[in-house]
Formats: sequence, C-alpha cells, structure tokens
Amino acid sequence: MARRALWRSGAAKDAVPRIAHLDRDRPLVEAAKREPARFEALYRRYLARVYSYAYYELGDHHAAEDATEATFVSALTNLHRFEERARPSDGEGASTFRVWLFQIARNEVAGERRRARRRPVEPIGETVVVDPLDVEATAVRRDEARAAWQAVGRLPGERRQAMVLRFVDELSTAEIAGVLGRSEGAVRVLIHRALKSVARDMGVSKRSGDKAGSES
Amino acid sequence: MSLTRRDGGEIEALITDRYLDSLLAIQPAPYLEGGPLGSDDSLGAAVRAVSRRLATDLPRFHPSFRFEERLALRLAEVAASMRLPVAAGAEGAMVPMRELRPALLEPLRGASDDENHPDARPLLIGGAVAASALSIAGAWLAWRRRTSPMARAIRAAHSMRQPGGGA
Repeated sequence: MARRALWRSGAAKDAVPRIAHLDRDRPLVEAAKREPARFEALYRRYLARVYSYAYYELGDHHAAEDATEATFVSALTNLHRFEERARPSDGEGASTFRVWLFQIARNEVAGERRRARRRPVEPIGETVVVDPLDVEATAVRRDEARAAWQAVGRLPGERRQAMVLRFVDELSTAEIAGVLGRSEGAVRVLIHRALKSVARDMGVSKRSGDKAGSES
Repeated sequence: MSLTRRDGGEIEALITDRYLDSLLAIQPAPYLEGGPLGSDDSLGAAVRAVSRRLATDLPRFHPSFRFEERLALRLAEVAASMRLPVAAGAEGAMVPMRELRPALLEPLRGASDDENHPDARPLLIGGAVAASALSIAGAWLAWRRRTSPMARAIRAAHSMRQPGGGA
C-alpha cells in the first residue's frame, strides 16, 4: 500500500500536518518492494543518469560500469530499508528515491576511486582532470563544450559533483543537498562559486583564442 | 567576511539557482533571453554564458546495450533469489480456515478431530507450504478411498511390500 509522507509545515504554530506531494517514483518503489522483479522499471529509468554521474566522476567506462552495477545491486538488495522522507523544501515533484539512489552511487564512486588509487595505471597528474569528452569525441564535437567540461573537471570534489548532478542529472538543489548531505543554501553557494570558477577558467581560455566564454 | 557581504553572496547564489531552475526546465521561462534575469547585471554575463553552455553541451552518457542487458539479467537473478524465502513459505498470509472450508475440507469430513471448532486455527497460505499441504491431503484422500479399484490395488501392493505383509 502506498504510504503518504506527512510533515509539519512551517513554524510550530502551524502544526497541521500536510500531505506531501506524491513522489514520482513511489508507485514503482512500492511495486518493487512487493515484487523485487519489478525493480527493473526503476533500473531502466535511472540507468543512464547513474552511469553518467559515475562516468563524469571516474572518467573511465569500465570503472563507471562497475560503480553503476554496484549501485543498482545495492539499491535492490536494500530497497526494503528505504523510507521516503519528503520535506517541504524538496519542492514539487522531488523524488526522495533518486536522492537515496544517488547517495548510493556517490558511495560506490568513492569506493571505486579508492580502489583505483590502490592500483594506479596512470600518473596521478593525468587522472586528476576527468575528461570524458576525449573518449566521447564522436558524440560531442564542440570545442566549447570540451573546454567547459575541462574547466568543470578541474573543480574540487564537491563542487564538481554538484555541477554534474545539477547539469547532467538535472537534480534540484534540494535533491543535491540530500545527496551531498549539505544544506540547500550551501549547495546554492557551492554551485554559484563553481560557475564563477568555470567562467574565470574559460575566460583564460578565451584570451588564448578559445571562444568558450562567449555567449552562445 | 562581513554579514552584508555574506548575505550578498547568498543572494547571488539564490538568483543563480533560480536562473538554473528556469534554464534546466523543459519550458524555459521567457525572461531567459533578454528578460529581467537575462539582462540583470547581478547575474554576471559570464555565469549566464557558462550556465547555458553546460546546460546544453554536457551530454548524458548511456552505457552499452550489452552492459545494460547483462546488468538487467543480474538484477533479475538477485530479485529471484530475494523471492525464495517467500516461495518456501517463510512469509504467508493468515487466512481463516472457514474461507477454505467448503472447497478444501468437505472431502475430508470425518477425518478431523476438531469438527466443533472449525475456526479455531488459522491456515498459513504461503506458496509452497500451501501447495504441499494440498498435495499431501490429496494423496491421503486417494489412499483412503475404499470405493476406488485403483486404491485397493495400491493398498494391496503396499501391504505385500511391508515385512510380514504377505508373499
């Protein structure tokens, strides 16, 4: 049976519980809890997003596949532990399931990074900057996009993760806050500073002849 | 950093966030191009340009079809292994016996010692357990039916196999 998430809205004086908006994934999650085989629908829905996140973070197809596989297997086996906790700040249409899923993905990516560090196959200097556009040159041909991603790849960990979750996986600020374990305000500042950083970086590229900083 | 400056930074971040919400929405807000935010100096031109570029040019990657199907198969196996306890009867619904009585118990009338309290004990229906119970009941019934020539033949053969049961 589908559960309704309740919370107390606003200040203490406004103590009337409100019914949260329906999580867009709730029917699929409830079905998968009853019948694990039904998890496939969630898997198909989020495969590309989780894989993209892992790929942007790890910069290697095989490592991204490993992290993606571990994420979905872990999500399936632990689905009975998942509890929907909608908050007013989640916003309309927010999905707490996908926040939970990306939390798992983030942990698996971190684990994959640790394993890669134990058996490095490239000099560290070359692995710091993730550049999947080199590998996917046939899919993305624009030099501007390449320059933009290189600038994003040079960002420190949480800023880069926030940018990928925002621009590639299209999570809301509230959802990213849930994934990273930060407040919404902190995530907003994180992304704003990251954008300014990337803009500065691309401005340097512009002076060297790249048009990355120009208006499209 | 002073409180004023910190507030200013947070306000800028909030404006950027609103801008990104509209930029990444399926139907962008009309002010994106030349509107209030589009021409607002509080959101730097460079930040706007970078936001647009990242929003449009960063691709979402999809793994290979082979990987997708291989992982789907593995998840199906994991899901099947998760269902095993249910199939073995570890989880079942408690159903009052009277609901099954007309269909299930009528052939066994006279065999029960609990005729006066038919609803005293619930029946666990849980996959293999229920199926096994029905099979055993059916076999027992076939065994005890005296009117069947086949049953008499089976009983005769059985008694011959038992020690001291005949030649």
